[in-house]
Amino acid sequence: MLILNELTALHWGIAGAGIAATVLALQFFLNRSLGISTGFESLCSLVSRQPYFLRPALRGPGVWRFPFLAGLLVSGFVSAITSGGWEATWDAGMLDTVLGLSFEAKIAWMFVGGLFIGFGTRLAGGCTSGHGIFGVALFEKSSLLATTAFMAAGMATTNLVYRVLGGWTP
Amino acid sequence: MKTRDVLIVFVLGLGFGLLLSRSGAADYTFIQEMFLFESFQLYGIIGSAVLIAAPGLWLLERHGKTASGEPLKLKRKPLHGGTVIGGIFFGIGWSLTGMCPGPILINIGEGKLYALAALAGALIGAWAFGALYPRLQPLLGLPPLDVGTGDG
Repeated sequence: MLILNELTALHWGIAGAGIAATVLALQFFLNRSLGISTGFESLCSLVSRQPYFLRPALRGPGVWRFPFLAGLLVSGFVSAITSGGWEATWDAGMLDTVLGLSFEAKIAWMFVGGLFIGFGTRLAGGCTSGHGIFGVALFEKSSLLATTAFMAAGMATTNLVYRVLGGWTP
Repeated sequence: MKTRDVLIVFVLGLGFGLLLSRSGAADYTFIQEMFLFESFQLYGIIGSAVLIAAPGLWLLERHGKTASGEPLKLKRKPLHGGTVIGGIFFGIGWSLTGMCPGPILINIGEGKLYALAALAGALIGAWAFGALYPRLQPLLGLPPLDVGTGDG
């Protein structure tokens, strides 16, 4: 059951097929390769004057990322209003029921996790979409390595947090 | 960018996001259940996406052209000193927040306010990486600054 309006999740095959269709459509119609994390750099390039964010690639061929990011943001809203209604919430499922962090601790937790995501995806040159799906589908060595690394690190972290520190049992 | 292309990309982002929102890929608990080996859902999503995208991309590459007849450009992903260590950092962040980059925005759209904290962290993390690039580049053997670590 999803946190969002306690919905039953779609079958994985529907989501997988739709993600693959997005990859192929983006490549065929726009000649762009799916990858989301570079969008963080695109957003940084709007305000930062650091040489790294002045790379022509971000403001030239990379501008497609802005409407894609906008689509993602709007999709969450549309998903909520078409399934029982939109409501602002702090409900984080298992994080609340098992770890029971205070409000401040939860914000700090999410912020620190975000730091790892922003720094890590840019250092690796991709995230779940760019490396995990697009790159692995092309059998790219870098993507196979990055995907193995982030899946292993995620498994280690979650198992440490929940099974070891949180005392969680199935 | 042409208005028509902006609209196409927006609709693709919207559709992609709806699927992630409704399938559990943008749900904190589903991500933990994947990493705890308690649920097949996310492995099924990622695995089937790769299994369908791989032959599709292979066919597109063989076809060699986009819909408008341009030569097809598949973004290649360079292997460098940051690939594995960056992957490890990202995996830790994905586990802690239950979100990868796309779902951060999807969760904000859904109304999950804690995703705003994750977004703030991700933007500051990406900014710190960019600001440190001149120092990290020789240290880790990253590509030259004007190339970057690779689009993803």
